[in-house]
Amino acid sequence: MIGFLTRRAGAAVAVLLILTAVVFVLQQYSPGDPVKAYLGANASPAAVAAERVTLHLDDPLVSRYGHYLSAAARGDLGTSYRTHRKVTADLGAFLPATFELVVVAFLFALLLGAVFAMLRTIAGTFVRGVLLVGATAPPFLLALGGIILFYAHLGWLPATGRGGNDDGFLLTHSLVTGDWAQFGDGLQHVVLPALVLAVAPAVSIGRILRASLQQTLSADHVRTARAKGLTEVAVFGRHVLRNSIGPGLSMAGLQLGFMFAGVVVVEQIFSWPGIGNYLAESIPAADYPAIAGVTVVLGAVYIVTNTVVDMIQALADPRIAL
Amino acid sequence: MSDAAVVPRRFGVRSRTPAVHNLTLNRVLVGLLGLVTLVALGARLLAPDDPIQPVGDFNLPPGSPGHLLGTDMIGRDLLSRTLWGIQASWLSALAVVLVGLLFGGLIGLVAGAAGGWVDNVLMRLTDLFLALPGVLVAIAIVAALGPGLVHTLLGISIVWWPYYARIIRGEVRALAARPHVEAARLAGASRLRILRRHLLPGTVPTAIVTASLDIGNVVLLLAGLSFIGLGQLAPAPELGADTARALTQLLAQWWVPVVPGIAVMLLSLVANLGGDALRGLLDGRR
Repeated sequence: MIGFLTRRAGAAVAVLLILTAVVFVLQQYSPGDPVKAYLGANASPAAVAAERVTLHLDDPLVSRYGHYLSAAARGDLGTSYRTHRKVTADLGAFLPATFELVVVAFLFALLLGAVFAMLRTIAGTFVRGVLLVGATAPPFLLALGGIILFYAHLGWLPATGRGGNDDGFLLTHSLVTGDWAQFGDGLQHVVLPALVLAVAPAVSIGRILRASLQQTLSADHVRTARAKGLTEVAVFGRHVLRNSIGPGLSMAGLQLGFMFAGVVVVEQIFSWPGIGNYLAESIPAADYPAIAGVTVVLGAVYIVTNTVVDMIQALADPRIAL
Repeated sequence: MSDAAVVPRRFGVRSRTPAVHNLTLNRVLVGLLGLVTLVALGARLLAPDDPIQPVGDFNLPPGSPGHLLGTDMIGRDLLSRTLWGIQASWLSALAVVLVGLLFGGLIGLVAGAAGGWVDNVLMRLTDLFLALPGVLVAIAIVAALGPGLVHTLLGISIVWWPYYARIIRGEVRALAARPHVEAARLAGASRLRILRRHLLPGTVPTAIVTASLDIGNVVLLLAGLSFIGLGQLAPAPELGADTARALTQLLAQWWVPVVPGIAVMLLSLVANLGGDALRGLLDGRR
């Protein structure tokens, strides 16, 4: 088991190194001159030459990659051409909003996925149909439909922002400090973007869970449990669900990683002040240091999530480590 | 197993759902894939107006005389723009899937047929690419190269092939253990001949089904990239970008941003239904 965990962690480090290398090489070919960006277009040739030395721009590629990596490890991903602030400072300001959005969306995805897989009433069929159709739509169309319905027509939910002017962990903070008015407002703001983000993962999770439940339901031990007179709830809770939830959970972990990657479009539409919105604003400005920073940070979150999910699975079911 | 189905329950699922084996329906759905491809190819002929030049009043609603889907903020015909957008999206998605299938398929075929260290090296490489966050890497590639359709296609294709390499490799390994391949080997057929005559044809059904089910994913990904400004450049019609540019009009003239979005949804729906139907047809034949 320890061997498996070590190998898995080593693989994650290798993938992270590849990711940073890809981003670094792309940065070399991206338009935009970092020296001009820092010093302005009218800098004297001497100042430009001095800055090139400070930034190690004339060193060989491999040595520059080394500098990039060691700077990244110290929390320095360069300076944004657009905001003229350190990219890591920008990311630190925007990451909490993205984090809260993704966590709420993930909870929605789990809930909807469970309903998709298990509810056998008319309501369940309805939810399944809506989710299946919704998953074929691009997220931006879902967002537009949601805004038209819940904001413009019904007036139930706000369409943009996250409520309040706290940049950090707005929901967590108001929950912990017991500021219920702020918490309720924040919750109202998060519902629509989180739902839009949750639809496609909910279908993926629901489908896997449903297939796995179907398989377990026809297993011999379930027939035995029924035959000895257990109630349906007991059969389902003790003998079916526990045995079939594994594949659903591993798909959920995979989808959590995808959500961090797919958050860009949703944040842009809802003007959610997160890292995806930051990326969407950096792209038209050709602000490559910022784009690279977002790619590395969200990519690292994605890789770490997948690794942790794999490890948890192996600990829960030792057969996986073989 | 029927006992599970007759016990009434609010929770749980039927232990067996009836498989849909409707031949005619499946044929119609696969036909839709072809129809959409024809529409995409013939967008130039089908579009009533020029997609880039203004041809009418601003923001005409759908159903206006002469403009079936209305016009946008500068008076361009939305039907024409959408048809051209469908051409760009659908043909691009087909191209990405084809490149992924050919390149990934080749890697998978070689790895599966060669086995040993070749298999090991190629598959570890594939795993590395699979573990990368594909969407983010595609965004970084396109952003570094600068927006433009060719760059977008290149960016997606680079992260798209590993999935195919894995699937084709698995299929080849399974085929290589089958008796007819064993027999060919014993009969003294060369490696190349086994690859060409016995392994390659066996992977075709899986390859076709996988690829057709994947078209919808690529359509959605392309629309998303185009939405955040990483698709074709400004005046060219493109579904995601057309929605993004008209976002501020949502509450006043909803159709301007929504029509291109619905087109994306229809493309992805047709791709998914058609891919499922194709799988049904090919499974039925086996």
